[in-house]
Order: sequence, then structure tokens, then C-alpha cells
Amino acid sequence: MPGTLNMPVVPQIRDCGEAPLIEMRSIVKTFKNAAGEFTALRGVTACFYEGEFVSIVGKSGSGKSTLANMITGIDHPTSGQVLIGGVDIHKMNESDMSLWRGRNLGIVFQFFQLMPTLTLLENVILPMYLTGYLDAAGREKRARELLALVGLAGFEDKLPAAVSGGQQQCAAIARALANDPPILIADEPTGNLDSRTADDVFAIFSGLMEAGKTILMVTHDAGLARRTSRTLLLSDGELINPWVAACFPELPHSQMLWLSHHLQERSLDEPRRLDGSTCGLWLFTGGTVQAHLNGTSQARPVTLQPGHFLSALELQAAGAQLILSPNGDGPASALHLDGDAFRKWLQEAPDARRTLQQAARRQYGGEQAGILQRGDQP
Amino acid sequence: MLRKRLFSDTTAAVSSERSPTSRSSTADQTGDVLIRLRGVVKRYQAAAGSGAPPFTALHGIDLDVQRGEFVAVIGKSGAGKTTLINMITGVDHVSEGEVWVDGQPLHRMSENQLCQWRGRRLGIIYQSFYLMPSLTLLQNVMLPMDLCGLYRNGSSEKRAMELLDMVELAEHAHKLPNAISGGQQQRVAIARALANDPPIIVADEPTGRLDSNTAEAIFQIFTRLVDEGKTILMVTHDRSIASRVSRTVRIADGRIISSTDAEA
Repeated sequence: MPGTLNMPVVPQIRDCGEAPLIEMRSIVKTFKNAAGEFTALRGVTACFYEGEFVSIVGKSGSGKSTLANMITGIDHPTSGQVLIGGVDIHKMNESDMSLWRGRNLGIVFQFFQLMPTLTLLENVILPMYLTGYLDAAGREKRARELLALVGLAGFEDKLPAAVSGGQQQCAAIARALANDPPILIADEPTGNLDSRTADDVFAIFSGLMEAGKTILMVTHDAGLARRTSRTLLLSDGELINPWVAACFPELPHSQMLWLSHHLQERSLDEPRRLDGSTCGLWLFTGGTVQAHLNGTSQARPVTLQPGHFLSALELQAAGAQLILSPNGDGPASALHLDGDAFRKWLQEAPDARRTLQQAARRQYGGEQAGILQRGDQP
Repeated sequence: MLRKRLFSDTTAAVSSERSPTSRSSTADQTGDVLIRLRGVVKRYQAAAGSGAPPFTALHGIDLDVQRGEFVAVIGKSGAGKTTLINMITGVDHVSEGEVWVDGQPLHRMSENQLCQWRGRRLGIIYQSFYLMPSLTLLQNVMLPMDLCGLYRNGSSEKRAMELLDMVELAEHAHKLPNAISGGQQQRVAIARALANDPPIIVADEPTGRLDSNTAEAIFQIFTRLVDEGKTILMVTHDRSIASRVSRTVRIADGRIISSTDAEA
């Protein structure tokens, strides 16, 4: 299509059913410049499902924006694949990509980038005009509805400079929704807003999720991230295992990453006897598990559920043994760090012991935390 | 034209007649003066109920800019520089006085007329680029041509590539704005501002977000455009740049306090 901006109406992503809507497979991204090479993403594998509102968090430089850029096609991976609705987007050429993006992705950035000489209404109509979506009356009607949705009814004919930053960001969200894309990608959408305005923008995203949109939001605002349906934590270009991040939020990210690398998946289908040297660290991820303290037959078993953990610290102190068994209704799954690796971790990570104690207090409640104390209760 | 298109059933591809650019007969009244402000006052009302008096951003500005001039407007933050720019682009309206740009009486024109005129006769460059994030660089530069229908299908892409080549970004034509640096984005914004070959370019702090080397490259592009016959009015707080233009206008508290031609 030389010489035209026109994008014919391209099919939108088909219904994925149970399959992931977005699938990232072993994404590596290396940037080269005069100073050498920098690897921003080191083999990221992740799935996003229809209707999820996922936050992507991590420190500055951890690779958050690069990850978002892999999904929007702003940048291309050095290796690996991104499948969206089953389509390998990085195999498309630039012009197919731009058609596809126009219909399937809404993109919102930290800086609003509305066209300064167009009114808010015209800014929202523009993407529909560019893709040939709807007829003229339909475009204007939809643009007015979208502006009303983001709280800008009555501001349709204002130029961007005449409204606040928060209102400009809301208009940018309305513009991102113009072509009714199933997926919305937002890179620090509240990064330039005060906290109250950020809350308003977040409420719009929540409403969109309830309306069935799939939303990925890069943010450094931990408070907002907690309110999404799921959080991905990046450290140094790698995803931290979400069970680790949820169970030990106090750990430095480098420690979380070390645990993510060394924990191994285990299936618990029959009882296991553990003592202080073999127990190591367990993070339970599926089914429920009963922990019986051996030799204290009077003690009540403790039930451990997904998200709970068990560490050798609690057994070593008492020189006790413990039997871990699945809770009748089928095998349980867990992540396990074996005894040797656990001791190594305790020796090398100064905060590990204190973090485990904190996490135990959270898990069992109260100061006398730990499975022994818990189990000894009448 | 732009408004008509956005609100019509056409999509971007529909070709349109190349209509001649209208230069009204009033142009003769101003001769080779491309921008003329007479007694321009701009007052902003305080927020309703605050009881505060209106704020006067511009107190009776008189200014003439001749064809081919490169004028820098400098002044402190809050001096009224951006308000002045908004009067000349017609993005905001005068409270009193007259604004003539390229022979058009902006103070008497409707939003629709302003929008049509602006798209064809004015190139505007902002501090924060304002590229459409979901369009490639090439598409961003094609957009004004497409909206104004000044270049027929086929020629707009060719022209957009030439403009990207001029700002040394042709090899990045198919990238999205967020894939390139801020300095590169500003060069794309310049290419876009030139899309419809406007005689006048207005730039509001075009180097305000750029490091000094990148700012220098932008400044050199402006200098070249002036050599080719464009008229440029640029707001800046960079005094070193201000010393290298053909005229420097200093503004303070909404008043012009000096207008100095460069030493020959």
C-alpha cells in the first residue's frame, strides 16, 4: 500500500479458549552499543490469559519496559518468540505488524502524547480514521462514549493544553481503546500523575478488565501492583518465581532470583520423613499437605496450603523429625530447596534467617511462630 | 480540511483533490511580514469561586516577523513565552488585539478555519515531540499530509521518506517512536512539521528535553531551513542558541523588553 496510511480492517485476535492469549517463550534481548553488550532480558517465559490484569514490576533497569516492548512490537527479541492469539508477531513484516497492532493492541505510555492541535474528540477519532474502523457517525459516537467512560464528558472540544495532565492521560486511554482492541499495554501510565489521579486511572483499568479486556501494566507503584489480578516481578532481566515473591516479599530481589533458580519442582504423592538436615526449604504450590511432628504424637497436625512454606530452621532447633503427607485428595505439589543448598543459602545470605522468621510469623500468626510451637498447642 | 476528514466517512486512503492553498488578499496589507501582533493582551480567569483576580499573561504585545527571519524568543519561566506561541498558532485566543499570520487574521477565525489553515501553513514543534505512539516514524510524518490532502496517494510516502532522510532517520522509518531516542524523536517531529511544506515554523522549547550535543544538531537543522527560505519563531531559554539567530526578542512579565538583531 504505498503512499497511504490506510489500514484495511484486519481480523482481530480470535478467541483463544483456554490457551494463553499472550505467550512469551524464552525471550532474550541484548542491546549492543559502543560500550559493549547489555542483556536486558535473559530468557523470559510467561503466559497471559484473557481477562487478566497483570502488573509488571521491578527496579529501574530490571527490564520491565523492554518486556512490554517485546509484546507491542516496538522492539524485537534477540532470540525467542512472542505468540499473541497464536500468531508469532515478530515474524510479521513492519507493515503487517502496524495493521495488526492498530486493531489488536491499545498502547498507553507515561507521556500522553496527544496531538496538541487536535481536540480530545479528534484525538480519539484519529485511530479509527486511520484503520477505517466504523463509519463517520459511528466513530464520533464511539469517541464520545469513550471520553464519557474515562470521565471526560463535556471536555470533547477542548485542546489537550486546556486540560490537566490526568485528564490528558484519561484521553490517551480513550484513544488507546478507540479500535476496541482486546489487549491494552500500559507502560508506567501513572508515572507522571499525582496519587489521587493515579487512582482514577487505575479505576478505569479495573473497569476495563471487568469488561473483558486483557491488561498488562508496567509500574513502579507497588501499591497499585497489589491491586491487580497478578504481579510479575522482574530482576536483572529475569522473572522471579511468583511463589517466592509472594512468600518472602522482604528478600532482596537478587536473593529471590537465587531461590527461583535453585528451587526444584516436587510432587508429594506419599508421606516423606524429614529431619533438620534433609528438610531444607519447601514452598507449597498445589493441594494441601499435613505436617505431623514425629515423637509428639499428641500434637495436632498442621495443615499447609499453597503459598505456605516450611523450613529446616523450625526442625533444627528442636532436633525433631516431621512427616509430610498429602491430604488425601490427591498428590500435592511444591518447590523444594534441598538441605545442603538451604544451609549454603543461610550462610551466604545475611538476611535469610530473619526473613524466614518474619514469614513464619505471618504464616502462623503471633510471636511464637513456627511449626513446633504451633503443633504443640493442645 | 482535517476536521472535515476526521468527521467524514473516508478513511485515510481516500484520495482528495489537491486544493490550492488560499492566500487571502489581506496578505498584501502586511507585505513581507509573515507574523504581525498588534496590542495583544491575554488574560486568564481565575478558577471559579476563588475570588482571585484574572491573571494577565500578555500585556499588549506588538511584534513583526519578516519572511526569512529566524527569531528566538527568550525569557524566564512564566514570562509569557508559551502563551505568545499559543497566540501565533491559534491554539489559544487573544483577549484583546490582533494576530496576523501569513496574511490570516487569526483573531477573527473560527476553530474550524484555524484548524484547516494551521495544518497547511504552519509547522509546529513542541518540547515533548507528540508523536503518535502506535504509528511508525514514516506514518507519523505522512499523517499531516494525509489529513490535509495536499499530497496525492503515492507522493506522500515518497515525500515523508525524503523528509526523514533530511533529518537522517530514513533507515529507522519503520520503527515506532518509543524505539528511538528523544533527540531522534524530535527530528521526526521536525520532519512531520515540514510535511505540508509550510512557510512558517513555530517551535516551543524544541531542545528543552535534549542534551547539548543533540540540541546542537536540531539547531543546525533549523539554520538550514532558514537558509532554504523558511521563517522560524522559536521559544527557548538557551541563551547560547539565542545569540546565533537573526533576532532575539526578550520577554518578561508578559511584555517585550528588547528586540535585538544579530550583529552582522
